[in-house]
Amino acid sequence: METAALMIRKLRLCYQDTRIVDDFSLSLKPQELGCLLGPSGCGKSTLLRAIAGFQELLDGEIWLDNQLLSTPHQRVLPEHRGVGMVFQDIALFPHLTLAENIAFGLTGWPESQRTQRVNELLELIGLSGLNQRYPHELSGGQQQRVALARAMAPKPKLLLLDEPFSGLDTELRGRLASEVRTILKSDGICSLLVTHDQREAFDFADRIAVMHQGHICQFDTPFNLYHEPSSPFVAHFVGPGEMIEARVEGARSVSSPLGLLTNDKDLGFAPGAEVQLFLRPDDLIHDDNSDYTATLVGKHFRGAHHLYEVRLDHGVVLGCLAPSHHDHAIGEKVGVSLDIEHLVVFPK
Amino acid sequence: MTTVVAALCVALPVLVVASFVITGVSDAWNHLLETLLGRYALNSLLLSAMVATGVVILGVPAAWMISFYRFKGRGILSWLLLLPMAYPAYILAYTYTGVLDYSGPVLTAMRELNAPTWAMDPLLNIRSLPGAAIMLSLVLYPYVYLLARAAFMDQSANLMEAAYMLGQSRSRVFMRIVIPMARPAIAAGTLLAVMETLADFGTVQFFGVQTFTTGIVRTYYGFGDTVGAAQLSTLLLCCVFFLVIFEKSSRSRVRYYSDRLRKLNQTSVTLSGWRQSVAQLLCVLPVCFGFLLPTGILLYWAFFFAELQSMWSLIVSSFFLAGFASLLIVCVALLICYANRLYPSTWLNYATTFVGLGYALPGVVVAIGVLIPFGAFDRGLSELLRPFGVEPSLWLSGTLIALMFAYLVRFLTVATGNLTSGLSRVRPSIDQSGRLLGLSQMGVIRKLHVPLIRGSVLTALLVCFVDILKELPATLILRPFDFNTLAVKAYELAGDERLIDAAVPSLCIILVGLLPVIWLNRSVTRE
Repeated sequence: METAALMIRKLRLCYQDTRIVDDFSLSLKPQELGCLLGPSGCGKSTLLRAIAGFQELLDGEIWLDNQLLSTPHQRVLPEHRGVGMVFQDIALFPHLTLAENIAFGLTGWPESQRTQRVNELLELIGLSGLNQRYPHELSGGQQQRVALARAMAPKPKLLLLDEPFSGLDTELRGRLASEVRTILKSDGICSLLVTHDQREAFDFADRIAVMHQGHICQFDTPFNLYHEPSSPFVAHFVGPGEMIEARVEGARSVSSPLGLLTNDKDLGFAPGAEVQLFLRPDDLIHDDNSDYTATLVGKHFRGAHHLYEVRLDHGVVLGCLAPSHHDHAIGEKVGVSLDIEHLVVFPK
Repeated sequence: MTTVVAALCVALPVLVVASFVITGVSDAWNHLLETLLGRYALNSLLLSAMVATGVVILGVPAAWMISFYRFKGRGILSWLLLLPMAYPAYILAYTYTGVLDYSGPVLTAMRELNAPTWAMDPLLNIRSLPGAAIMLSLVLYPYVYLLARAAFMDQSANLMEAAYMLGQSRSRVFMRIVIPMARPAIAAGTLLAVMETLADFGTVQFFGVQTFTTGIVRTYYGFGDTVGAAQLSTLLLCCVFFLVIFEKSSRSRVRYYSDRLRKLNQTSVTLSGWRQSVAQLLCVLPVCFGFLLPTGILLYWAFFFAELQSMWSLIVSSFFLAGFASLLIVCVALLICYANRLYPSTWLNYATTFVGLGYALPGVVVAIGVLIPFGAFDRGLSELLRPFGVEPSLWLSGTLIALMFAYLVRFLTVATGNLTSGLSRVRPSIDQSGRLLGLSQMGVIRKLHVPLIRGSVLTALLVCFVDILKELPATLILRPFDFNTLAVKAYELAGDERLIDAAVPSLCIILVGLLPVIWLNRSVTRE
């Protein structure tokens, strides 16, 4: 068996008498940065609370570094788990300075080591020298970084992050997610982030578990989630795209309104089967030299590129990426070509 | 569990009182119904209507001026306007009666100046229903002022500017935006004032206005009719509960209007000339008659006429009683709040809401509701112990226990309210952070909650302390024989027409009562 830092087996959880997590299993490798991605209400926050030890299990087990933490019958108390957590509402202790906040979990450490650890972390989060400030004197992003440092200070075996960036503005959010990733990677702490924001998950995680209605749909790298989603839900949740009708022709090809499409892996459908083909805007690219044309019906300028909506001759409307300088007018015929590496096909 | 017990405690007087509705009617009740009930109801209604008008007239214009205009003295007036809150209405009544007495300074001066009788008569007749309404309005308008001011200041400047951009004049913006948006807050403040009016005993009793509260006491003591008193109490309770419901619903609408938009203060208009004088006058008048004038008179009396010797023991016993009772109340409140936090359930929630009704109970009703079951208990116990040669005695009623219990019923909400708001600022994630950083549940309380809610515990203690010090009817009815407090002493001296001697106990109550008002003002302005 491969070594796992966090291992969750067949978990079942209830929140206010409603079963919201069922038959849930997940494991994280040491030093891995995992993410639970799902719409609000899918049970991901309750799961975090269960891992932290604030939530009773109905069934299943939670292990951390080969130590059994939770079963339905017994729970290691939160304070003895070696799990750290960063909260959505930051939850810094308002009556303590930054240094006191970060040192809060370092009970029993000698004074000199404690000071050293605090300074080390303040430097890591880029707030050196602010030891004596109070939380309310900092901006939201700074506060969240201090909360991270506080959770990391006692060197937990696992760090949980409960939508830690959702209170911040969009631009800061993406930047902080990558920044936190760098900090955690440098410290080598196994972590689990919970979020409903797909970009945040991509910025942060090594592997992402997409959750829906209390179970995992797919647990994979960001790249695979985007390019090889295992279900229509995952396909739509991690990025834009459209379904079009298609029919399986051979083991590796389908016929579609865009013609016969082929890739280099088996599709797993019998020839002749009616299927749905999922196409992302980056599968269809604008190319003035292409013979194949479509009518431009909508466009969204995104700065670095355009996102076009084009109608094919058959009436199907698809998203299409175009270079930033190609500023065509709506109603114009524009050339498009396909750039497909994987065919994403679902049963109809 | 604790909350359920506490809820039952609060419910006990209410249930006892209400249970008499089904026990049938006494002879005295029929008599009451024929002769006095109509008068009680009419007087209470008239008084409430007058006070409601009075507090709006005094409170809203002042709040308006303070919120929307800059003028000389605005800063100091904005908090001076709160000071009448320190006064119990009955002390104001004693003071004005003393001043406006036939031989008092005002009327003596008027006679010397040959003032016409039509000018002197209304002053002489201060001891009347309109007089009581004026006294109550003068001490209760700060509720309206405070809530209206908060509502005015919470309104976003953006909204008003949006209205100006749509071509509306200043006065139309006022009538169509500002006033409608503040209306729920004004209504809530007025309802609070009316609730206090219905609960008032000291003022109406002194002025000889027959309302529900004086009726209850008279039925109980005068006619010795427990059932009648309880049934009158139930009627009063019904009125109060309707008001509570109205108040809650108007308050729930208040919330919609506070958001995080730009606040109004920056846009206020600077006044000068006669406009400034009008604004100053609107703010000075309530302060002057509600606080400065009566306090000046009380100080003068206390300084030149009163002898202080006998007061020391009175102050000590009052402070001891209030201190001990508020400690007890805050302890119980802490238990309830923690039960709610650690083991939340819908059951607990209902129980807590029920506990919240305590403050709306008039002191007279609480006293009767405590006296009836405690008296029954005493009689039962005496009966039980008689065979053993134990003399019949008042085991509970007429002891400090009964009084403490009544205070607990009446003022528990004050404490839970303060503590809940304090604890709610300590979000669950703070607790969880503490746990994950190695603290036990007790450790979380000791190292995080204690420092974080210390302020609200102190506030709760202070507010309870002052409320108990001011409380008159329950203390009067339930106190042990010969046990005196400042409030009771002031009442007794006033009853003996020794109004000047009542000045010292009155002043003590007011001076202590100022502390939470100042505290309140600080917390309001900090927000």
